[in-house]
Amino acid sequence: MKRKHRRLAILLAAGLGLGSAAALTLFAFRDNLVFFVTPSDLASRGRAGETLRLGGLVAAGSVEHTTIAGDPAVRFRVTDGRTAVNVSYVGVLPDLFREGQGVVTLGTLAPDGSFTASEVLAKHDETYMPKEVVEALKKSGHWQPGSGPPPPAATWNTLSAAKSGG
Amino acid sequence: MTHLAFIIPAYGVALVIPAAFALDAWRRLSRARARLAALEGGRRR
Amino acid sequence: MLRAVDVFSPIAPPRGARGLHRFANPGRFLRLAGALLPWVSAIGLILTVIGLYGGLFVAPADWQQGDAVRIMYVHVPAAWLASAGYMALALASAASLVWRHPLADLAAAEIAPVGAGFTAICLITGSLWGKPMWGAFWVWDARLTSVLVLFFLYLGHIALTRAFDTPERGYRAGAILALVGVINLPIIKFSVDWWNTLHQPASISLTGAPKMYIGMLWPLLFMALGASLIFAALVLARLSAAVMERRVRALLAARAEGA
Repeated sequence: MKRKHRRLAILLAAGLGLGSAAALTLFAFRDNLVFFVTPSDLASRGRAGETLRLGGLVAAGSVEHTTIAGDPAVRFRVTDGRTAVNVSYVGVLPDLFREGQGVVTLGTLAPDGSFTASEVLAKHDETYMPKEVVEALKKSGHWQPGSGPPPPAATWNTLSAAKSGG
Repeated sequence: MTHLAFIIPAYGVALVIPAAFALDAWRRLSRARARLAALEGGRRR
Repeated sequence: MLRAVDVFSPIAPPRGARGLHRFANPGRFLRLAGALLPWVSAIGLILTVIGLYGGLFVAPADWQQGDAVRIMYVHVPAAWLASAGYMALALASAASLVWRHPLADLAAAEIAPVGAGFTAICLITGSLWGKPMWGAFWVWDARLTSVLVLFFLYLGHIALTRAFDTPERGYRAGAILALVGVINLPIIKFSVDWWNTLHQPASISLTGAPKMYIGMLWPLLFMALGASLIFAALVLARLSAAVMERRVRALLAARAEGA
Protein backbone atom coordinates (compact mmCIF):
# COMPACT_ATOMS: atom_id res chain seq x y z
CA MET A 1 0.00 0.00 0.00
CA LYS A 2 2.78 2.42 0.94
CA ARG A 3 4.71 2.02 -2.29
CA LYS A 4 1.53 2.54 -4.23
CA HIS A 5 0.90 5.84 -2.47
CA ARG A 6 4.47 6.97 -3.00
CA ARG A 7 4.23 6.26 -6.72
CA LEU A 8 0.98 8.22 -6.89
CA ALA A 9 2.57 11.16 -5.05
CA ILE A 10 5.59 11.16 -7.40
CA LEU A 11 3.25 11.09 -10.39
CA LEU A 12 1.16 13.99 -9.09
CA ALA A 13 4.26 16.05 -8.27
CA ALA A 14 5.71 15.40 -11.72
CA GLY A 15 2.37 16.38 -13.27
CA LEU A 16 2.25 19.62 -11.30
CA GLY A 17 5.80 20.51 -12.35
CA LEU A 18 5.16 19.68 -15.98
CA GLY A 19 1.87 21.59 -15.96
CA SER A 20 3.42 24.77 -14.58
CA ALA A 21 6.36 24.53 -16.98
CA ALA A 22 3.95 24.18 -19.90
CA ALA A 23 1.76 27.05 -18.68
CA LEU A 24 4.78 29.35 -18.30
CA THR A 25 6.09 28.41 -21.74
CA LEU A 26 2.72 29.01 -23.40
CA PHE A 27 2.38 32.34 -21.57
CA ALA A 28 5.87 33.45 -22.62
CA PHE A 29 5.22 32.57 -26.28
CA ARG A 30 1.62 33.82 -26.37
CA ASP A 31 2.41 36.43 -29.05
CA ASN A 32 3.75 33.73 -31.36
CA LEU A 33 0.88 31.35 -30.80
CA VAL A 34 -1.75 33.58 -32.38
CA PHE A 35 -2.61 32.83 -35.98
CA PHE A 36 -3.42 36.46 -36.79
CA VAL A 37 -3.33 39.94 -35.28
CA THR A 38 -6.34 42.24 -34.92
CA PRO A 39 -6.63 45.73 -36.42
CA SER A 40 -6.09 47.15 -32.88
CA ASP A 41 -2.85 45.16 -32.51
CA LEU A 42 -1.77 46.47 -35.89
CA ALA A 43 -2.54 50.07 -34.93
CA SER A 44 -0.55 49.84 -31.69
CA ARG A 45 2.51 47.86 -32.76
CA GLY A 46 2.46 47.23 -36.50
CA ARG A 47 5.55 48.21 -38.50
CA ALA A 48 5.38 49.19 -42.17
CA GLY A 49 6.76 46.54 -44.51
CA GLU A 50 6.05 43.75 -42.03
CA THR A 51 4.45 40.59 -43.42
CA LEU A 52 1.75 39.22 -41.13
CA ARG A 53 -1.77 37.86 -40.91
CA LEU A 54 -4.56 40.31 -40.16
CA GLY A 55 -7.90 39.00 -38.94
CA GLY A 56 -11.29 40.47 -38.13
CA LEU A 57 -14.75 41.02 -39.59
CA VAL A 58 -15.35 42.47 -43.03
CA ALA A 59 -16.94 45.84 -42.26
CA ALA A 60 -20.52 46.32 -43.45
CA GLY A 61 -20.77 48.29 -46.69
CA SER A 62 -17.01 48.35 -47.24
CA VAL A 63 -16.60 45.76 -50.01
CA GLU A 64 -15.72 47.27 -53.38
CA HIS A 65 -15.12 44.97 -56.37
CA THR A 66 -12.82 46.33 -59.09
CA THR A 67 -10.34 45.02 -61.61
CA ILE A 68 -6.61 45.70 -61.58
CA ALA A 69 -4.93 44.97 -64.93
CA GLY A 70 -7.83 42.71 -65.90
CA ASP A 71 -7.71 40.61 -62.73
CA PRO A 72 -10.59 40.64 -60.25
CA ALA A 73 -9.61 42.78 -57.29
CA VAL A 74 -11.39 43.77 -54.13
CA ARG A 75 -11.06 46.46 -51.50
CA PHE A 76 -12.62 46.11 -48.06
CA ARG A 77 -12.13 47.13 -44.44
CA VAL A 78 -11.29 44.63 -41.71
CA THR A 79 -12.56 45.66 -38.29
CA ASP A 80 -12.46 44.33 -34.72
CA GLY A 81 -15.13 46.78 -33.55
CA ARG A 82 -12.63 49.41 -32.40
CA THR A 83 -10.19 49.93 -35.27
CA ALA A 84 -10.49 49.20 -38.98
CA VAL A 85 -7.81 48.63 -41.62
CA ASN A 86 -8.20 49.11 -45.38
CA VAL A 87 -7.28 45.95 -47.24
CA SER A 88 -6.73 45.47 -50.96
CA TYR A 89 -6.50 42.06 -52.60
CA VAL A 90 -6.10 40.75 -56.15
CA GLY A 91 -7.33 37.20 -56.63
CA VAL A 92 -10.17 34.79 -56.03
CA LEU A 93 -12.09 35.12 -52.76
CA PRO A 94 -13.29 32.09 -50.72
CA ASP A 95 -17.00 31.21 -51.03
CA LEU A 96 -17.78 32.30 -47.50
CA PHE A 97 -16.44 35.84 -48.02
CA ARG A 98 -19.15 38.43 -47.32
CA GLU A 99 -19.74 41.58 -45.29
CA GLY A 100 -19.97 40.77 -41.59
CA GLN A 101 -17.94 37.56 -42.08
CA GLY A 102 -14.67 36.82 -40.32
CA VAL A 103 -11.59 36.80 -42.54
CA VAL A 104 -7.88 36.22 -42.08
CA THR A 105 -5.62 37.86 -44.66
CA LEU A 106 -1.91 37.35 -45.20
CA GLY A 107 -0.13 40.44 -46.45
CA THR A 108 2.10 43.42 -45.78
CA LEU A 109 1.45 46.67 -43.99
CA ALA A 110 2.01 49.77 -46.13
CA PRO A 111 3.45 53.01 -44.63
CA ASP A 112 0.03 54.70 -44.94
CA GLY A 113 -1.52 52.07 -42.65
CA SER A 114 -3.32 50.14 -45.38
CA PHE A 115 -2.82 46.44 -45.90
CA THR A 116 -2.01 44.66 -49.17
CA ALA A 117 -3.17 41.04 -48.97
CA SER A 118 -1.76 38.15 -50.99
CA GLU A 119 -4.12 35.56 -49.50
CA VAL A 120 -7.63 35.79 -48.02
CA LEU A 121 -9.09 32.97 -45.89
CA ALA A 122 -12.67 32.98 -44.61
CA LYS A 123 -13.07 32.34 -40.88
CA HIS A 124 -16.30 30.54 -40.11
CA ASP A 125 -17.85 31.23 -36.73
CA GLU A 126 -19.31 28.65 -34.35
CA THR A 127 -22.94 29.18 -35.38
CA TYR A 128 -24.70 26.67 -37.61
CA MET A 129 -28.11 27.64 -38.94
CA PRO A 130 -30.25 26.73 -41.95
CA LYS A 131 -31.31 29.29 -44.53
CA GLU A 132 -34.89 29.40 -43.20
CA VAL A 133 -33.76 30.49 -39.75
CA VAL A 134 -31.58 33.25 -41.20
CA GLU A 135 -34.52 34.45 -43.34
CA ALA A 136 -36.77 34.44 -40.28
CA LEU A 137 -34.24 36.45 -38.26
CA LYS A 138 -33.85 38.93 -41.12
CA LYS A 139 -37.61 39.36 -41.53
CA SER A 140 -38.22 39.83 -37.84
CA GLY A 141 -35.40 42.36 -37.74
CA HIS A 142 -33.38 40.44 -35.15
CA TRP A 143 -30.28 40.13 -37.32
CA GLN A 144 -28.84 41.48 -40.54
CA PRO A 145 -25.91 39.15 -41.42
CA GLY A 146 -23.87 41.98 -42.94
CA SER A 147 -23.89 43.93 -39.69
CA GLY A 148 -22.08 41.47 -37.43
CA PRO A 149 -22.34 38.33 -35.32
CA PRO A 150 -25.72 36.59 -34.91
CA PRO A 151 -27.96 37.10 -31.85
CA PRO A 152 -27.73 34.79 -28.79
CA ALA A 153 -28.20 31.13 -29.75
CA ALA A 154 -31.15 30.53 -27.41
CA THR A 155 -33.24 32.96 -29.49
CA TRP A 156 -32.96 30.92 -32.69
CA ASN A 157 -31.63 27.39 -32.20
CA THR A 158 -35.09 25.85 -31.82
CA LEU A 159 -36.89 28.31 -34.12
CA SER A 160 -39.24 26.24 -36.24
CA ALA A 161 -39.17 26.83 -39.98
CA ALA A 162 -42.98 27.12 -39.97
CA LYS A 163 -42.71 30.30 -37.94
CA SER A 164 -40.37 31.85 -40.47
CA GLY A 165 -42.94 34.57 -41.16
CA GLY A 166 -42.55 36.13 -37.76
CA MET B 1 -26.07 18.43 -52.76
CA THR B 2 -23.24 20.94 -52.93
CA HIS B 3 -19.54 20.17 -52.22
CA LEU B 4 -19.96 16.46 -53.00
CA ALA B 5 -16.31 16.31 -54.05
CA PHE B 6 -15.41 16.97 -50.41
CA ILE B 7 -18.30 15.24 -48.61
CA ILE B 8 -17.80 11.84 -50.29
CA PRO B 9 -14.08 11.48 -49.45
CA ALA B 10 -14.74 12.72 -45.89
CA TYR B 11 -17.43 10.11 -45.26
CA GLY B 12 -15.34 7.51 -47.08
CA VAL B 13 -12.40 8.05 -44.74
CA ALA B 14 -14.67 8.14 -41.69
CA LEU B 15 -16.18 4.77 -42.60
CA VAL B 16 -13.15 2.95 -44.01
CA ILE B 17 -10.80 3.56 -41.04
CA PRO B 18 -13.14 2.15 -38.33
CA ALA B 19 -14.15 -0.69 -40.68
CA ALA B 20 -10.48 -1.62 -41.12
CA PHE B 21 -10.02 -1.61 -37.34
CA ALA B 22 -13.13 -3.77 -36.89
CA LEU B 23 -11.94 -6.30 -39.47
CA ASP B 24 -8.50 -6.48 -37.87
CA ALA B 25 -9.99 -6.91 -34.37
CA TRP B 26 -12.31 -9.67 -35.59
CA ARG B 27 -9.41 -11.54 -37.26
CA ARG B 28 -7.22 -11.22 -34.18
CA LEU B 29 -10.02 -12.45 -31.90
CA SER B 30 -10.87 -15.51 -33.95
CA ARG B 31 -7.18 -16.39 -34.42
CA ALA B 32 -6.39 -16.01 -30.71
CA ARG B 33 -9.49 -17.99 -29.76
CA ALA B 34 -8.56 -20.83 -32.13
CA ARG B 35 -4.97 -21.01 -30.91
CA LEU B 36 -6.03 -20.94 -27.30
CA ALA B 37 -8.60 -23.67 -27.91
CA ALA B 38 -5.95 -25.80 -29.61
CA LEU B 39 -3.54 -25.33 -26.68
CA GLU B 40 -6.02 -25.76 -23.86
CA GLY B 41 -8.63 -27.95 -25.48
CA GLY B 42 -6.90 -31.25 -24.79
CA ARG B 43 -6.67 -30.71 -21.07
CA ARG B 44 -9.50 -28.49 -20.02
CA ARG B 45 -12.41 -29.48 -22.14
CA MET C 1 -16.17 -12.19 -32.07
CA LEU C 2 -19.08 -12.51 -29.74
CA ARG C 3 -17.97 -15.66 -27.91
CA ALA C 4 -14.70 -14.34 -26.59
CA VAL C 5 -15.09 -16.22 -23.35
CA ASP C 6 -16.17 -19.72 -24.30
CA VAL C 7 -12.71 -21.08 -24.81
CA PHE C 8 -11.26 -19.36 -21.82
CA SER C 9 -11.35 -21.66 -18.90
CA PRO C 10 -12.56 -20.01 -15.73
CA ILE C 11 -9.74 -18.97 -13.45
CA ALA C 12 -10.52 -18.23 -9.84
CA PRO C 13 -9.68 -14.65 -8.89
CA PRO C 14 -6.80 -14.35 -6.43
CA ARG C 15 -7.82 -14.59 -2.82
CA GLY C 16 -8.57 -11.24 -1.27
CA ALA C 17 -8.78 -9.45 -4.61
CA ARG C 18 -10.42 -6.12 -3.90
CA GLY C 19 -11.17 -2.82 -5.58
CA LEU C 20 -10.02 -2.37 -9.14
CA HIS C 21 -8.08 -5.59 -9.10
CA ARG C 22 -11.32 -7.52 -9.10
CA PHE C 23 -11.51 -6.63 -12.81
CA ALA C 24 -7.83 -7.28 -13.38
CA ASN C 25 -8.37 -11.00 -13.43
CA PRO C 26 -7.98 -11.91 -17.12
CA GLY C 27 -10.64 -14.60 -17.06
CA ARG C 28 -13.14 -12.28 -15.46
CA PHE C 29 -12.27 -9.52 -17.93
CA LEU C 30 -12.78 -11.85 -20.89
CA ARG C 31 -16.18 -12.95 -19.60
CA LEU C 32 -17.26 -9.35 -19.04
CA ALA C 33 -15.89 -8.17 -22.40
CA GLY C 34 -17.49 -11.09 -24.18
CA ALA C 35 -20.86 -10.28 -22.66
CA LEU C 36 -20.60 -6.54 -23.40
CA LEU C 37 -19.13 -6.64 -26.89
CA PRO C 38 -22.24 -7.67 -28.86
CA TRP C 39 -24.39 -5.06 -27.10
CA VAL C 40 -21.88 -2.24 -27.37
CA SER C 41 -21.24 -2.99 -31.07
CA ALA C 42 -24.91 -3.34 -31.96
CA ILE C 43 -26.12 -0.21 -30.15
CA GLY C 44 -23.14 1.74 -31.50
CA LEU C 45 -23.93 0.67 -35.06
CA ILE C 46 -27.64 1.45 -34.75
CA LEU C 47 -27.01 4.93 -33.34
CA THR C 48 -24.40 5.61 -36.03
CA VAL C 49 -26.73 4.52 -38.84
CA ILE C 50 -29.48 6.81 -37.49
CA GLY C 51 -26.94 9.62 -37.14
CA LEU C 52 -25.59 9.09 -40.67
CA TYR C 53 -29.06 9.11 -42.18
CA GLY C 54 -30.02 12.19 -40.17
CA GLY C 55 -26.81 14.01 -40.98
CA LEU C 56 -26.77 13.23 -44.69
CA PHE C 57 -30.46 13.35 -45.59
CA VAL C 58 -32.60 14.91 -42.84
CA ALA C 59 -30.56 17.78 -41.40
CA PRO C 60 -30.84 21.06 -43.31
CA ALA C 61 -27.90 22.56 -45.18
CA ASP C 62 -26.15 25.51 -43.54
CA TRP C 63 -27.08 28.93 -44.93
CA GLN C 64 -23.44 29.73 -45.72
CA GLN C 65 -21.66 26.38 -45.90
CA GLY C 66 -24.28 24.61 -47.99
CA ASP C 67 -24.01 20.85 -47.73
CA ALA C 68 -20.33 20.99 -46.72
CA VAL C 69 -21.66 21.38 -43.17
CA ARG C 70 -22.45 17.65 -43.29
CA ILE C 71 -18.72 16.90 -42.93
CA MET C 72 -19.16 18.12 -39.34
CA TYR C 73 -21.15 14.96 -38.49
CA VAL C 74 -18.05 12.82 -38.91
CA HIS C 75 -15.42 15.42 -38.03
CA VAL C 76 -16.70 16.52 -34.61
CA PRO C 77 -17.30 13.02 -33.11
CA ALA C 78 -13.85 11.97 -34.37
CA ALA C 79 -12.33 15.06 -32.74
CA TRP C 80 -14.09 14.40 -29.42
CA LEU C 81 -12.99 10.76 -29.48
CA ALA C 82 -9.42 11.69 -30.38
CA SER C 83 -9.21 13.60 -27.08
CA ALA C 84 -11.37 11.22 -25.03
CA GLY C 85 -9.36 8.26 -26.32
CA TYR C 86 -6.18 9.96 -25.21
CA MET C 87 -7.70 10.52 -21.78
CA ALA C 88 -8.44 6.78 -21.62
CA LEU C 89 -4.86 6.05 -22.70
CA ALA C 90 -3.57 8.32 -19.92
CA LEU C 91 -5.82 6.71 -17.29
CA ALA C 92 -4.61 3.25 -18.31
CA SER C 93 -1.03 4.52 -18.13
CA ALA C 94 -1.57 5.94 -14.63
CA ALA C 95 -3.15 2.65 -13.52
CA SER C 96 -0.11 0.86 -14.90
CA LEU C 97 2.49 3.10 -13.26
CA VAL C 98 0.81 3.59 -9.87
CA TRP C 99 -1.25 0.46 -9.24
CA ARG C 100 0.63 -1.95 -11.54
CA HIS C 101 -2.77 -3.02 -12.77
CA PRO C 102 -2.13 -6.14 -14.90
CA LEU C 103 -4.58 -5.25 -17.66
CA ALA C 104 -3.60 -1.58 -17.84
CA ASP C 105 -0.48 -2.12 -19.99
CA LEU C 106 -2.40 -4.15 -22.53
CA ALA C 107 -5.25 -1.63 -22.48
CA ALA C 108 -2.89 1.28 -23.21
CA ALA C 109 -1.26 -0.62 -26.07
CA GLU C 110 -4.66 -1.40 -27.60
CA ILE C 111 -6.24 2.06 -27.11
CA ALA C 112 -3.41 3.96 -28.83
CA PRO C 113 -3.88 2.66 -32.40
CA VAL C 114 -7.67 3.18 -32.27
CA GLY C 115 -7.13 6.72 -30.93
CA ALA C 116 -4.62 7.40 -33.71
CA GLY C 117 -7.18 6.18 -36.25
CA PHE C 118 -9.90 8.52 -34.99
CA THR C 119 -7.42 11.41 -34.85
CA ALA C 120 -6.56 10.70 -38.48
CA ILE C 121 -10.29 10.83 -39.36
CA CYS C 122 -10.54 14.15 -37.53
CA LEU C 123 -7.54 15.64 -39.38
CA ILE C 124 -8.53 14.38 -42.84
CA THR C 125 -12.22 15.33 -42.65
CA GLY C 126 -11.31 18.70 -41.17
CA SER C 127 -8.96 19.31 -44.05
CA LEU C 128 -11.68 18.35 -46.54
CA TRP C 129 -13.97 20.91 -44.90
CA GLY C 130 -11.28 23.59 -44.68
CA LYS C 131 -10.51 23.66 -48.40
CA PRO C 132 -13.99 24.70 -49.61
CA MET C 133 -14.88 26.78 -46.53
CA TRP C 134 -11.69 28.55 -45.42
CA GLY C 135 -9.90 28.31 -48.73
CA ALA C 136 -7.04 26.14 -47.39
CA PHE C 137 -6.59 22.44 -46.61
CA TRP C 138 -4.27 23.25 -43.75
CA VAL C 139 -3.13 26.22 -41.67
CA TRP C 140 -0.73 26.25 -38.74
CA ASP C 141 -3.07 27.75 -36.17
CA ALA C 142 -3.03 26.62 -32.53
CA ARG C 143 -6.00 24.22 -32.84
CA LEU C 144 -4.84 22.38 -35.95
CA THR C 145 -1.25 22.21 -34.74
CA SER C 146 -2.18 20.88 -31.29
CA VAL C 147 -4.36 18.15 -32.83
CA LEU C 148 -1.49 17.20 -35.13
CA VAL C 149 0.70 16.97 -32.00
CA LEU C 150 -1.96 14.65 -30.49
CA PHE C 151 -1.69 12.43 -33.58
CA PHE C 152 2.10 12.29 -33.20
CA LEU C 153 1.75 11.49 -29.48
CA TYR C 154 -0.40 8.50 -30.41
CA LEU C 155 2.12 7.41 -33.07
CA GLY C 156 4.97 7.95 -30.61
CA HIS C 157 3.21 5.79 -28.04
CA ILE C 158 2.66 3.02 -30.58
CA ALA C 159 6.32 3.09 -31.64
CA LEU C 160 7.73 3.40 -28.11
CA THR C 161 5.77 0.50 -26.59
CA ARG C 162 7.09 -1.75 -29.34
CA ALA C 163 10.68 -0.47 -29.30
CA PHE C 164 12.02 -2.57 -26.41
CA ASP C 165 13.07 -6.20 -26.25
CA THR C 166 11.21 -6.72 -22.99
CA PRO C 167 7.55 -5.68 -23.33
CA GLU C 168 7.41 -4.42 -19.71
CA ARG C 169 10.00 -1.73 -20.39
CA GLY C 170 8.09 -0.69 -23.52
CA TYR C 171 4.83 -0.40 -21.59
CA ARG C 172 6.57 1.67 -18.94
CA ALA C 173 8.13 4.10 -21.43
CA GLY C 174 4.82 4.35 -23.26
CA ALA C 175 2.96 5.09 -20.03
CA ILE C 176 5.33 7.95 -19.19
CA LEU C 177 4.99 9.41 -22.69
CA ALA C 178 1.19 9.13 -22.49
CA LEU C 179 1.08 10.97 -19.16
CA VAL C 180 3.42 13.74 -20.32
CA GLY C 181 1.21 14.19 -23.38
CA VAL C 182 -1.88 14.86 -21.24
CA ILE C 183 -0.74 18.49 -21.11
CA ASN C 184 -1.78 18.71 -24.76
CA LEU C 185 -5.47 17.99 -24.01
CA PRO C 186 -6.32 21.33 -22.33
CA ILE C 187 -4.25 23.06 -25.01
CA ILE C 188 -6.42 21.47 -27.73
CA LYS C 189 -9.63 22.30 -25.88
CA PHE C 190 -8.84 25.91 -25.05
CA SER C 191 -6.61 26.80 -28.03
CA VAL C 192 -9.58 28.41 -29.76
CA ASP C 193 -10.32 30.59 -26.71
CA TRP C 194 -6.79 31.49 -25.60
CA TRP C 195 -5.33 32.48 -28.96
CA ASN C 196 -6.61 33.81 -32.26
CA THR C 197 -7.13 30.78 -34.47
CA LEU C 198 -8.69 30.20 -37.88
CA HIS C 199 -10.61 27.29 -36.38
CA GLN C 200 -13.94 28.34 -34.89
CA PRO C 201 -14.61 28.04 -31.12
CA ALA C 202 -16.82 25.26 -29.76
CA SER C 203 -20.51 25.44 -30.76
CA ILE C 204 -21.59 23.08 -28.01
CA SER C 205 -20.72 23.69 -24.36
CA LEU C 206 -21.94 22.36 -21.06
CA THR C 207 -22.94 25.82 -19.88
CA GLY C 208 -24.51 27.78 -22.75
CA ALA C 209 -27.17 27.14 -25.38
CA PRO C 210 -25.79 25.23 -28.38
CA LYS C 211 -24.97 27.64 -31.21
CA MET C 212 -26.38 25.15 -33.64
CA TYR C 213 -29.89 24.72 -35.02
CA ILE C 214 -31.65 21.83 -33.29
CA GLY C 215 -32.29 20.06 -36.62
CA MET C 216 -28.51 19.93 -37.12
CA LEU C 217 -27.74 19.10 -33.49
CA TRP C 218 -29.56 15.79 -33.03
CA PRO C 219 -27.77 13.86 -35.80
CA LEU C 220 -24.48 15.10 -34.34
CA LEU C 221 -25.38 13.74 -30.90
CA PHE C 222 -26.41 10.38 -32.39
CA MET C 223 -23.12 10.23 -34.30
CA ALA C 224 -21.12 11.17 -31.22
CA LEU C 225 -22.74 8.53 -29.04
CA GLY C 226 -22.60 5.88 -31.77
CA ALA C 227 -18.95 6.58 -32.56
CA SER C 228 -18.08 6.45 -28.83
CA LEU C 229 -19.64 3.00 -28.52
CA ILE C 230 -17.87 1.82 -31.69
CA PHE C 231 -14.59 3.12 -30.25
CA ALA C 232 -15.30 1.24 -27.01
CA ALA C 233 -16.22 -1.95 -28.92
CA LEU C 234 -12.99 -1.80 -30.94
CA VAL C 235 -10.93 -1.42 -27.76
CA LEU C 236 -12.84 -4.22 -25.99
CA ALA C 237 -12.32 -6.58 -28.93
CA ARG C 238 -8.63 -5.73 -29.30
CA LEU C 239 -8.02 -6.02 -25.58
CA SER C 240 -9.77 -9.42 -25.42
CA ALA C 241 -7.58 -10.60 -28.28
CA ALA C 242 -4.48 -9.25 -26.53
CA VAL C 243 -5.35 -11.05 -23.28
CA MET C 244 -5.82 -14.32 -25.15
CA GLU C 245 -2.61 -13.79 -27.15
CA ARG C 246 -0.70 -13.29 -23.90
CA ARG C 247 -2.16 -16.50 -22.51
CA VAL C 248 -1.16 -18.35 -25.68
CA ARG C 249 2.41 -17.09 -25.32
CA ALA C 250 2.49 -18.11 -21.67
CA LEU C 251 1.19 -21.60 -22.46
CA LEU C 252 3.69 -22.04 -25.29
CA ALA C 253 6.53 -20.89 -23.04
CA ALA C 254 5.44 -23.28 -20.29
CA ARG C 255 5.20 -26.11 -22.81
CA ALA C 256 8.67 -25.34 -24.21
CA GLU C 257 10.10 -25.40 -20.71
CA GLY C 258 8.38 -28.64 -19.87
CA ALA C 259 9.64 -30.42 -22.99
